[in-house]
Amino acid sequence: MYTLPQCACALSLFCFGRQTRGGNVSKLIKCISGMEDEEDQNFQLALKFTWSNFRFHRFLDVDSHKVERSISGIYEKLMVHSDLRKVWGITLAFLAHQTENDPLSKFTSTHVLSMLFSLSGSPSNNDFTERPRIKEAEAEDCFDWAKYLMEGEDIDNGLYPDTPVWSEDESEDDDSQRPISREDSGIQLDRTPPEDQDNTNKTVPVTWTVGEPGARAWLEQHVVTPYWVTHSPRFPHSLHLHSNLLNVWDQHLYNTDPLYLPEEKAFVTETQVIRETLWLFSGVKKHFIFQQHDGKVSVRNDVVVTHLTSNCLRSVLEYIAVYGQAVFRLQRFIDEVTGCSSEPCPPGSLSSHNSKKGSEPPFRTYQAFVWALNKYFTSFKEELTTIERELICNDETMTLSAVLERLGPHLSQIKVLHKVFCTGVADVPPATPNVVRASHLLNTLYKAIIEYDSVGEASEQAVALLFSLWTETVRPYLEIVDEWIVHGHLFDPAKEFIIQRNKDVPVNHRDFWYATYTLYSVSETVESEEKLNDSASGSSGGDQSSSSRQLTMVSFLKPVLKQIIMAGKSMQLLRNLHCTEAESSEKSSRDAERKDLYTLFLESVQSRLRSQETSPTNTVTDDQATRRSLIKMQSIVAQHLEMENVHDPLLAINFARLYLEQSDFQERFSGGDFIVDRSSQSVTCQTFELTLRSCLYPHIERRYIECCGNLMKTLKKDYKLLEYLQAMRNYFLLEAGDAMYDFYTAIFNKVQEKESWQQPSFLNVQLQEAVGQRYPEDSNRLSVFLENMDPSRKKHPVNNLEVLTLSYKVPWPVDIVISSECQKIYNQVFLLLLQIKWAKYSLDTLRFSGEKLQEAPAEDVKLKEPVHQQIHRMCLLRVKLMHFVNSLHNYIMTRILHSTGLEFQHQVQEAKDLDQLIKIHYRYLATIHDRCLLREKVSFVKEAIMKVLNLVLIFSDRWQAGFGAWKIESIDKMESDFKNCHMFLVTILNKAVCRGSFPHLESLALSLMAGFEQC
Amino acid sequence: MASATSANLNAVRETMDVLLEISRLLNTGLDMESLSICVRLCEQGINPEALSAVIKELRKASESLKVQQQQHTKCHFK
Repeated sequence: MYTLPQCACALSLFCFGRQTRGGNVSKLIKCISGMEDEEDQNFQLALKFTWSNFRFHRFLDVDSHKVERSISGIYEKLMVHSDLRKVWGITLAFLAHQTENDPLSKFTSTHVLSMLFSLSGSPSNNDFTERPRIKEAEAEDCFDWAKYLMEGEDIDNGLYPDTPVWSEDESEDDDSQRPISREDSGIQLDRTPPEDQDNTNKTVPVTWTVGEPGARAWLEQHVVTPYWVTHSPRFPHSLHLHSNLLNVWDQHLYNTDPLYLPEEKAFVTETQVIRETLWLFSGVKKHFIFQQHDGKVSVRNDVVVTHLTSNCLRSVLEYIAVYGQAVFRLQRFIDEVTGCSSEPCPPGSLSSHNSKKGSEPPFRTYQAFVWALNKYFTSFKEELTTIERELICNDETMTLSAVLERLGPHLSQIKVLHKVFCTGVADVPPATPNVVRASHLLNTLYKAIIEYDSVGEASEQAVALLFSLWTETVRPYLEIVDEWIVHGHLFDPAKEFIIQRNKDVPVNHRDFWYATYTLYSVSETVESEEKLNDSASGSSGGDQSSSSRQLTMVSFLKPVLKQIIMAGKSMQLLRNLHCTEAESSEKSSRDAERKDLYTLFLESVQSRLRSQETSPTNTVTDDQATRRSLIKMQSIVAQHLEMENVHDPLLAINFARLYLEQSDFQERFSGGDFIVDRSSQSVTCQTFELTLRSCLYPHIERRYIECCGNLMKTLKKDYKLLEYLQAMRNYFLLEAGDAMYDFYTAIFNKVQEKESWQQPSFLNVQLQEAVGQRYPEDSNRLSVFLENMDPSRKKHPVNNLEVLTLSYKVPWPVDIVISSECQKIYNQVFLLLLQIKWAKYSLDTLRFSGEKLQEAPAEDVKLKEPVHQQIHRMCLLRVKLMHFVNSLHNYIMTRILHSTGLEFQHQVQEAKDLDQLIKIHYRYLATIHDRCLLREKVSFVKEAIMKVLNLVLIFSDRWQAGFGAWKIESIDKMESDFKNCHMFLVTILNKAVCRGSFPHLESLALSLMAGFEQC
Repeated sequence: MASATSANLNAVRETMDVLLEISRLLNTGLDMESLSICVRLCEQGINPEALSAVIKELRKASESLKVQQQQHTKCHFK
């Protein structure tokens, strides 16, 4: 119900409003329908229609809540359609609707909004057409792209300003004739690994054409912005705070530091940094971020990424550059050794690659080392390529730190490699001979293994890597050793082995055994080459020198060095002995089946591993199960083996892991990393040496025993070594008593008859006669020489014999054992024996001439008494002298020569190798020499004995002269001389016996003493 | 005084801009002139739904009228 005033008011309003409304309505009709003429019939109709609709409509009054609801409804709808621009507008409208200071009244605005909503169809319903594309679509028909690509000229940059990459290329590549230099412009197919960049433009077909909808997307995906070009366009990146740390930081610096000067920077993305890192590691030499100046890898100063401060990025990149440099250095070494060929070959076929230094034989140890390094780098590059492929696929987020994390184990391995390389190869001065280089490298590796091994768990990978490196590097050495100890031929053209053949000594020379080989040792402290001639100490040179100064020849060979040398020399000698015999064909056929030392070594290491594999638990195919069962089995085997005390299962598993690096074992242990809890005690420290002990040394040992045994057998059997030794004793030590008796009695008789005996022809005839009857085969080997005597020593008759020299021609190869030095010692003993025999002979042959005894009393009765006394004294003296000489003779012939000879024969039977035999022989001679009192140190004893022997000769001379010629003074003198000497000897010998230092002298001392007491 | 009116004028203009944006977002097909007429009519108390119905009808009618005229001229020329 309206009140009256209200109605009046409304009426008046209506009347006023009608006029204004009428104007607005006509305007509206004009606006909407476009009719201008108000008199037009249609216009009038429209006006009428409008008015009637305004006045008489069926609509309810506007509800503001409804309007708000529809606003929020539309907002939601647009959100669903992600029509963000519209959402923003609607939000604005809503806000405008809400604000109080709207110039329109709330009433009006609600009305207007309501009107707009009812007028609108559906706000989200519109066909999407991308506006910027329209221009390109228009151009497609009128441009000949084929022609454009073919000619490479007349590029209209102005037409297509929104393809920045293209315009960059062309401005840069003006000088090149190629239409699109894809390689230089950085357009490259992402799927190719970085090494193959050069081939990119050949292999990749351009499969897109401009105008196709995918073309632009293709370009954007496949083309890298040329970030290496100065002032290259900045790549688009998010404006979020996190990705603009650099700017924020710069701003901060700018604000705080008044002197801060922003520098020109080259912006890159993290992906680009990662890729350059990968390329650096894979050995590519030209980079943007990393720069190389004569072997040093440095980081470019002005490279930045937007989300890190430059210092932060720099520290990371410098960390990478260190490894990059290591990789670069190793790579360069590989190239140097392989003669700059990109792909090294296995050591066997390497000789063809060394065309550059064709004159020099290849240095095989380095080649083997390089081969091992190359193997490692191949796997490393595979890893890098995998990472890069993943990076290109873009399936998951990759950050620089994630990549570094992933490469972590590899990087630490590279560090180890580089360290080994630096100490083992790079630090060696250039003029060093190969033998030093090779042994130094092997020693470095060996030491590094032991060093890292002692760290234990922490450096398992390093040990595994180094072990595989070592086994590869040691290969040439083992091959040389193998060749030597099997064929007796030391093949070492590059002179890298620690033992080298002296060329000037032929095999069938008597010095062969001593002077043929030179052992090189590297002194640790001086690092200079030490030349130890083998002849100094025989083949035991290594042992002796190691005690005096610390030598590191090749440490791993040290325990078996002697065996190697012995086996090698024996083999060579044996070969030469056999070359006369026709055994070679049989040998070569056997040789084909034989495995060389290196193969045997590898097989032994494998069999060490297989001992655990034979257990049935390990046959499970599943990878996971294998791992689990391995751990389980390990404990079982551990208990099992502990009882047997065979070997350590941890050891076996460790070696399984060590050998994972080798490809042969990859299939067997496909798991890759076993989780084995290793006890804290470092078993592996001995592990490496144990491996050698169980896998390498036995083979060498076996070979050594075989070679030397053969040699000894051949020498004893075919070359009658024992017979010659016996012959030496027969003639020099007078063991062939009958033959030698004939010889020396002939001489003694001549002397007694005062005839000249010092004629070579006479002596030789006597010797031949004496020996020829009993030992015809030796008669032509034996001969006697006369030497000029030292005039100072001529005064005593006993020294007359010293001009004699007996000589026995010893044939090769026995003269290695019985050398001329030995013969000299033999000769000394021979002379001593001869002197004793002479004294004994002259005493034995004294006879009492009865006539003289009877004649004497008739002549001079006065003299009868003293003559009898004289005769008695002479007889007594003779018996005393005989006792002395016989004691001496017995002592030397039985106590010394015979028993020592028996010992010697026994030792000779047991000698394992030639060197040992030589030593035994020398020791034997030294013993005889010593015990026959021929040493310089005890020359005073010998002097005393010689005096007595001389006395004997004088005595027998006097005796022969007859009783009348005797003078009481001379008898007195002889008696006193003998007594003095005798007493002296007894005292000396007693002292020596009491000290206990010469037990063999005891018998001599006793018998002399017995003779002394009775006088 | 003058500044107050000019401020008010600016506010009105802003409001009209917002309204025009909204009408464009909603695909109403109104231009600035017709929109201001509509706003004035709404101020004068015309029912907004009726107003929108009239606008739709007028559009439809003028559309059909144009078609008729074209056909007619074509016939005439024939």
